[in-house]
Amino acid sequence: MALVNLHDVTYKYPLTDTPALKNINLQVETGEFVAVIGPNGAGKSTLCYTIAGFIPHFFKGELEGTVQVAGLDTQHATLSQCVVETGLAFQNPFNQISGAKFTVFEEIAFGLENTGVPRQAMIERVGQVMDLTGISELAERSPYSLSGGQQQRVALASILVMEPKVLVLDEPTSQLDPIGAREVFQVVKEMSARGMTVILVEHKVEWIAQFADRVVAMQDGMIIMEGSPADVLTSSLLADSGFGLSRYTQAARDAVSRGLWPEQMRLPVTLQEAVDGFSGLLP
Amino acid sequence: MHERLSFYIPRESPLHRANPLTKLVLVFAFILISYLSPWYWTASLLILGDVLLSFVGRVQREYLRTVARLLLPVVGFLFLMQSLFLPYGETEIFSFWFISLTVENIQIAFLNASRIFVMVSSFILLVLSTHPSELMTDLTRRGVPGQLSYVVVSTLQILPQMQAKAVTIIDAQRSRGLDTQGSLRKRIGALVPLVGPLVFGSLVEVEERAIAIEARGFTSGLPKTSLREVADTSADRVARWFLVAITLAVLVSRIWIR
Repeated sequence: MALVNLHDVTYKYPLTDTPALKNINLQVETGEFVAVIGPNGAGKSTLCYTIAGFIPHFFKGELEGTVQVAGLDTQHATLSQCVVETGLAFQNPFNQISGAKFTVFEEIAFGLENTGVPRQAMIERVGQVMDLTGISELAERSPYSLSGGQQQRVALASILVMEPKVLVLDEPTSQLDPIGAREVFQVVKEMSARGMTVILVEHKVEWIAQFADRVVAMQDGMIIMEGSPADVLTSSLLADSGFGLSRYTQAARDAVSRGLWPEQMRLPVTLQEAVDGFSGLLP
Repeated sequence: MHERLSFYIPRESPLHRANPLTKLVLVFAFILISYLSPWYWTASLLILGDVLLSFVGRVQREYLRTVARLLLPVVGFLFLMQSLFLPYGETEIFSFWFISLTVENIQIAFLNASRIFVMVSSFILLVLSTHPSELMTDLTRRGVPGQLSYVVVSTLQILPQMQAKAVTIIDAQRSRGLDTQGSLRKRIGALVPLVGPLVFGSLVEVEERAIAIEARGFTSGLPKTSLREVADTSADRVARWFLVAITLAVLVSRIWIR
């Protein structure tokens, strides 16, 4: 069975009438890298909270259908059981700093203290995860003195150190500068390469095209399309959903409409694909 | 900008090495003794004790500076007010209109002022020589709820952040023409547009932060472990019981002597 399994999930936030998620069916296999895209208000964050168990345990509201992560039925488990299986990180790096700790090293150890990991194992695991996320040299700094990109890597490290089975990331790079974003994405890529199951909400289509195994497109609380990055990211359905296409895809579509780009040829998503495609058109 | 609101001065000293609970017990013992002791000069003696301890803890400079800037003005003002306006007292030194200065009033005012001095200056010593997370780690280990220590420590860190945010908001408002200079009324009026963004913004942040710490198993209910190791020697235990015993002795003497 799939590691993450959502079956016919519909969810309403408290005091709202329209569901934020409508009949969602989603399976994610172990080791898969799934990207979730969609316009604002499509339900992407809600999906993240649902997988991580914060819906219904933290946000309450009405949840129908079943959500299973690593065999654990999140609705009937406690939140703390859920968070051990699923690591959740989100947009604002600043708000993910616990505030309970004075150094980065302690900050990362916070989750392990809470779950009762013995001190010696704690020190080892924190050291390993700091190497992995490239923040070893920040160990003794105050988490509040760091740049956004560094803080976000600390937030990621704080989640990874708990060794979750699934990593759920809700736009982890959207509030960062390009360098910070790239550093965070490097970590995500590395984790995926090591076999971690990753569910990533992200707007940077070019990255998704290069690294995701599968893309899920959402709109109005529904999954409107699902498939390989090459298929989803170039589809005209996506162009109409308000999410938009990468500019390379747009250029190629423009070329199609002018009869320059052969209909049967695949549309590009990334710069490299566009360069290859367009140079093939040259006489 | 301050990274955090902490008065801790990292130094190598017997006071720094002492267990945080021992220091906390010392603070409360000093306060209780200064109030309970039947002897008039106890509080003054304890002030001397605090000053000596600040040298033991090698934080005398920071201690004396804080006392001079923060504590002396407040305590001095209290002393002045009480000596001038307390309604009792017979041995008049001088009187003017409704003000009368009497020996008894000066005595009472001095006692009250010195007790408050003991209270605050002992706490100053505690925060100068104890890392906040060390104190909270130790208290949590002894059964104080983790939530309480979270509130204490995170407040220390988040207040300076909020301060910085307030400055940003004020700057943003001023760049759009808000006048924050001028008369007192104008200045108070200028605070109104600050409150909304700061308070509501903080409430949103609280939700996110709650999610972030929940995601790290904050309420897991499992027995917590701690990265920090806080030493608790037998000397600490002896010192604590000794302090408790003295406090009790003073309490008994108080009841006895009356």
